[in-house]
Amino acid sequence: MSGRARTRARGMLRGSRALEVRGSPGYLAATSVDLGNSEVSLSSRTDSVWQPSDEHDAASGDGEHTLMERRVRIRQDLMDLGICTRERLAHVKDCKTGSSGLPVKLVTNLFSLDLPQDWQLYQYHVVYSPDLPSKRLRTALLYGHSELSDRTKAFDGAILFLSQKLDQKVTELTSETQRGETVRMTVTLTNKLVSSSPVCIQFFNIIFKKILKKLSMYQIGRNFYKPSEPVEIPQYKLSVWPGFAVSVSHFESKLLFGADVSYKVLRNETVLEFMTDLCVRTDTSCFPQTCETQLVGLIVLTRYNNKTYRIDDIDWSVKPTHTFQKRDGSEITYTDYYKQQYDITLSDLNQPVLVSLLKRKRNASMEPQAVHLIPELCFLTGLTSQATSDFHLMKAVAEETRLSPLGRQQRLARLADDIQRNQVARFELETWGLHFGSQMSLTGRVVPSEKLIMQDHICQPASAADWSKDIRACKVLSSQSLTTWLILCSSRAENRIEGFLSCLRRVGSTMGFNVGYPKIIKVQENPASFLRAIQQHVDPDVQLVMCILPSNQKNYYDSIKKYLNLDCPVPSQCVLTRTLNKQGMMMSVATKIAMQMTCKLGGELWTVEIPLKSLMVVGISICKDALSKDTLVVGFVASVNPRITRWFSRCILQRTTAEVADCLKVFLTGALNKWYKLNHDLPARIIVYRDGVGDGQLKAVVDYEVPQLLSSVAESSSDSSSCRLSVVVVRKRCTPRFFVETSKTVQNPPLGTVVDSEATRPAWYDFYLISQTTSQGTVSPTYYNVIYDDNVLKPDHMQRLTFKLCHLYYNWQGLISIPAPCQYAHKLTFLVAQSIHKEPSLELANHLFYL
Amino acid sequence: NDLCNSVVGGNFEEVCPEKVIRFKPPLYKQRYEFVRDLVDRHEPKKIADLGCGDTKLLKLLKIYPCIQLLVGVDINEEKLHSNGHHLSPYLGEFVKPRDLDLTIILYHGSVVERDSRLLGFDLITCIELIEHLDSDDLARFPEVVFGYLSPAMVVISTPNSEFNPLFPTVALRDADHKFEWSRMEFQTWASQVAKCYNYCVEFTGVGTPPAGAEHVGYCTQIGVFTKIGGKAAGSCVSEDHDQHVYKAVYMTSYPSLQQEKVLKFVLVGELLIQVEHLRLRHHRMLRERKRESDPKPRDTDFSLGPDLLLGAVFTEAEKARIENSPEPFCEGDKFCVPLQRLLAYPKLHRLRVDEERMRALIADSVCLSSDSSAVMVDLYNSLDYWPEDS
Repeated sequence: MSGRARTRARGMLRGSRALEVRGSPGYLAATSVDLGNSEVSLSSRTDSVWQPSDEHDAASGDGEHTLMERRVRIRQDLMDLGICTRERLAHVKDCKTGSSGLPVKLVTNLFSLDLPQDWQLYQYHVVYSPDLPSKRLRTALLYGHSELSDRTKAFDGAILFLSQKLDQKVTELTSETQRGETVRMTVTLTNKLVSSSPVCIQFFNIIFKKILKKLSMYQIGRNFYKPSEPVEIPQYKLSVWPGFAVSVSHFESKLLFGADVSYKVLRNETVLEFMTDLCVRTDTSCFPQTCETQLVGLIVLTRYNNKTYRIDDIDWSVKPTHTFQKRDGSEITYTDYYKQQYDITLSDLNQPVLVSLLKRKRNASMEPQAVHLIPELCFLTGLTSQATSDFHLMKAVAEETRLSPLGRQQRLARLADDIQRNQVARFELETWGLHFGSQMSLTGRVVPSEKLIMQDHICQPASAADWSKDIRACKVLSSQSLTTWLILCSSRAENRIEGFLSCLRRVGSTMGFNVGYPKIIKVQENPASFLRAIQQHVDPDVQLVMCILPSNQKNYYDSIKKYLNLDCPVPSQCVLTRTLNKQGMMMSVATKIAMQMTCKLGGELWTVEIPLKSLMVVGISICKDALSKDTLVVGFVASVNPRITRWFSRCILQRTTAEVADCLKVFLTGALNKWYKLNHDLPARIIVYRDGVGDGQLKAVVDYEVPQLLSSVAESSSDSSSCRLSVVVVRKRCTPRFFVETSKTVQNPPLGTVVDSEATRPAWYDFYLISQTTSQGTVSPTYYNVIYDDNVLKPDHMQRLTFKLCHLYYNWQGLISIPAPCQYAHKLTFLVAQSIHKEPSLELANHLFYL
Repeated sequence: NDLCNSVVGGNFEEVCPEKVIRFKPPLYKQRYEFVRDLVDRHEPKKIADLGCGDTKLLKLLKIYPCIQLLVGVDINEEKLHSNGHHLSPYLGEFVKPRDLDLTIILYHGSVVERDSRLLGFDLITCIELIEHLDSDDLARFPEVVFGYLSPAMVVISTPNSEFNPLFPTVALRDADHKFEWSRMEFQTWASQVAKCYNYCVEFTGVGTPPAGAEHVGYCTQIGVFTKIGGKAAGSCVSEDHDQHVYKAVYMTSYPSLQQEKVLKFVLVGELLIQVEHLRLRHHRMLRERKRESDPKPRDTDFSLGPDLLLGAVFTEAEKARIENSPEPFCEGDKFCVPLQRLLAYPKLHRLRVDEERMRALIADSVCLSSDSSAVMVDLYNSLDYWPEDS
């Protein structure tokens, strides 16, 4: 009956091109997947140049098959899994689990995927003679052959996957086209794959992609969203779609399916409306330029074909009334095209077009294709930085998106139920021999809580999440007296100063921080007068400059920080007038500011007991510079005293595309020299926590960064003393989530929960640690992967030390999600990347000036 | 390109590697285009595609605002299962919803069985369908489609066998074709059917023959049947008992302005965009006044070079409607836009909501003036930034 599709080619499934357009170019490269073109997923389609995406034009580019590679390209995060660092660490080869602490039963967001014991995937390569250019025809002929028609298969035009082996290693098949032409197909076995192999994992991921599409979910980026259940926030012109980030991966002992709730924010505003408003705000002369800075890089959604694109440029010379060439060579205007194709009438014929560059999936070296989009038809997605700084808006979004552990658990259960109950989904899994199993539980441990060591007091906080009350009356470990300092403020803020100062001095004296009376300078409300006043009044004796800023406009902060971190290195403290207006909050505001000032002057607030006597901990963080995207900011922070309260920092800007640090040897050597100067010896142990390692970069860190650190250690060590190095990769984003199931409800696990089995990876020495709380929502664990370890600490000790280090971040009186050195390094890179864009003066290297 | 496109069409007729007759656009697309033109002209509300296969035609048709019910029927259930989700609403269709409700349903069943849920349709399409029916089914087909379902319009397309000699090999175009008719054969059959069930039929086709071979006619022949006396669906529906023999495989409903929740979301969204736009313009005017310390008349506002003037251009009627409505005003540091003014702007006007209804819909999302006649926002917003300041 379905006469229009005679071919059995199931491979014609129309894929979503959204896959090709992703957040950033890096992300694009990181996820280009050849396998993605296999029958089970998304057949890639290409547009010809200047053609607005044409939903109905099926096309596989001419000669596409010649570009097909024999080998499957593997997704970058799966490549990381191939880096087997654990086998080189003799002390954890057999066992990487700790034993201290109280056991706790945890539920995860992971589901078991069961396979028959002897399951294998057979990978074949298919060659056609005569060669056929059309992937669809290739697929049709192959699938139509009696040898293959009843088998479970996936085919991307060259690579064929079968769940059952063919009799011969090389099988010759012949098929006839409808026109009677004989085509010979040579099917050669190239690989037998076990379920843990990266190709298989990727294959499973594609199967699940297909399944989620069957459940009427849409893919944006890597995640899947359910458009039928939008949460609407009309007062902010936003709608929020619930969805899932899913992945299949091989964990410690078995294959698991992980799912986490994810949300997509869509704006009920077209790019044209955005531009029109911007146009009113801006002078004619700089409008195009402003428009570009505001829009380039944003992701837009086109309503008519459900694709997402990244805006790469705006072409002001092209209007909707201009023509472009369609694939068949005919010319058509944009207006006519949208009318004909989608029955859409454009209302503004004067708008420019947006340009989006589509990366070629199959061949990254080819020129990207440019696609023209009409602003009126593009909706903005995500939130602008302006929107994220709107407290009320963010609160409204958070209220809709922040899920309690119970809510999250319910969503997961529903997804699992949908997958298990959907006939098509079940069939898809069964045909490959997969069985979607139950939600996995495991046992974690809660490590003992830590005591805080203050100057003449050791205190056991009531809650490690926030110990501000516990230490209110305690003296900090050490502090410098503040005698010579300046306050800059506008006349509007002037009346607040006295009250604030008296609070500051009061809390200062309780905590043992001596605050003298500052010189108060009144300035006008603009960035230039603040800067002028600083230049005029800061002399070498000034210990600290405090600026009371009238607004959180970035240019105030940036210009002040730039000057005081680069040209004239003096610690500075910026406070918003708004903050000082918070009546009733003054004491806690003053306490926080006093603590920051103490640190900036080189003081120490508290510590915890560190059993290792001569230990240096290092944090490394990397991020992109806000101004020039091809510049990396590398921040390095190292402790320089045994009780881990004093820090040395370096930061450098590095022009490169790979997110790998270049300068670690110099940095570590500098830190070791500093340690030597203060302690007259080298540290016995160094533990480096490296944050900001993206997908697919693990190999570079192992092969390139660790040797830099080792070479610094080797050169600094003498015969009498040498130090031992460990390197731990820290990741805040990871698939697993953990919950504690009680009789009535589901809760977040307690602080200090460690998971080092089952949800971990067999090839790594890794563990999860929950070191932060959240008042609403679900806590996410931090993931630690020890990639190098000369210190040979027991896993127990490594885990507990890491937990201790999460207590030492002085900008927050409580536990944080990552070890303090990482957070310091992160703060430092953030300041440099956002505000000063240059290496800060070395004179500040021994202070926490970046807090 | 043409090679693979033609396979998508389901027939191999254009696939031959040499001496190919290439249609531009591909033949299958021309057939769909033909149906789309018909929809454009007649604006049917309810359409059914019999033998919908991979649902490609339905996907093309769902964009039409006039359509409120779109049904596909096929005997291949797996195909319906695997393609159904392609018909679910796009993300963007929630952001910018349709005016009218749309439901899409896929049924598994045979076109020679009667199902009362297909009664009362405005258009039924049978694209490349009849040539797949064996003689028994073909004999029952007219009675079911024309006699029982009796839609206002039927479109039937089928290969024209006279065209076949132009292809290198002479055979049926598809292994599953039970027959391929000449123009005469098709027209005879169609005319009889039309006469029997009180339809009039017109013949046409797509796929123009190459120069010199005009005598063979279109590659695909099409008959468009129109019921004489128009749609008399009402009586049919009420007479028949519910007869549900088809199995519903997939069903989806689209968000539309007919749904209160959707209407509210769109109304508030458009309203806020309009208010913000007016507020910014007012701001701009104040700033320019200040800068030149020379109060300008309100209507000159500011102007951009013609090539940078963005935003929809109002027609004279729209302009008049806007000018006749009460103007935005300031009250202290509040900026107010009367509801009547807002309703005059085309994007809100088209929602066809009166002031009273609007007030009720927006009440819990925006701030209204004391007499509830205007939307009130802060004239100065802490997040206002003027790029030129920095």
